[in-house]
Amino acid sequence: MNKNVAEIIDALAAHQDNASIEVLEELGTNSPDNEVREYTSRALVRKNVHDSLKIVIVNQGKGINDLSPAVAMSTINEILSLKDKAEVIKILDDTINMHSDESVRENARSVKSLLALS
Amino acid sequence: MRINNVGLTPNQKSANPFKTSRNSTTNPFQNVNFEGNTLQFADVFEGFQPKNTSKLKMITSSVAGSMTKLRNSITEPIVNFVKRIGEGLSNAWTYAKNKNVSDLAGVKAINEVMSTDIVDIGKGLSNSISDLGKGISEKMSFLNTDVSDIGKGISKKMSFLNTDVTDIGKGLAGKWNALISKVHSGNKITKDTSVEDLKAMWQNEIKLAEEKEAA
Repeated sequence: MNKNVAEIIDALAAHQDNASIEVLEELGTNSPDNEVREYTSRALVRKNVHDSLKIVIVNQGKGINDLSPAVAMSTINEILSLKDKAEVIKILDDTINMHSDESVRENARSVKSLLALS
Repeated sequence: MRINNVGLTPNQKSANPFKTSRNSTTNPFQNVNFEGNTLQFADVFEGFQPKNTSKLKMITSSVAGSMTKLRNSITEPIVNFVKRIGEGLSNAWTYAKNKNVSDLAGVKAINEVMSTDIVDIGKGLSNSISDLGKGISEKMSFLNTDVSDIGKGISKKMSFLNTDVTDIGKGLAGKWNALISKVHSGNKITKDTSVEDLKAMWQNEIKLAEEKEAA
């Protein structure tokens, strides 16, 4: 992955406004490069806010639902390493109860089980 | 296959086909026939009678012939041969009796060596070894000169090589420093950079990557 792209993602992850989350979702999670998607998903998890966590948990093909196992597992590891897990558990519960796609619900259920065990 | 099938009864003797005939007749084709007819050229040997020669007579004539050959091969009478050998021995004895022992060739050479002083022999050996050492030293001196010249040549070559490498290194360092300064002189990416600028920079990076892949 390009060093400049990594620095840009780190800088966007340090921002507190929603505009940075939109940029990360638009350019990062839709990138064809697996490394960029993985690095962006971890940055969104580290933000630990509702809008950023929602992107990596609810959206199909992004975060824990990424087609690349490396990206999905890296995102799950980043979620498990969060100190404050309240917001992520809330989003996981909403996804398990209300999401229309069964695979997304199954992934959310698995992550919640891992959180309970950790 | 059984024996009875051949057509022989147990008491009947069959002719041995490998047994050679030693009868007195000299016709080897006597019993040869072709489809029951005796061959015509067998008549050539009829009337030929072998000679009844005594063996003792044959041995006697052989010994007599050998003696004749031996007598012809001796060109000198045995008496003259013995006489000549005796004269040779007499001459040798006379020579040995009248000759002083110290004058003999082998004894004379030994006496010369024994009369030479051992110090002189040592000097001779020393001179020979010294000459040999000088020769080797001269050869080695030429060799050392050549090696030193080779070393000087290699040193000169290596000095040129070092100069070239240094120049290359200087050139690379200059290019690298220029590249680094160019990168640092541009917009620095920090958390204080605005989201719009970060987005623009990211889009620019994506565009550069696409152009690189296209190229």
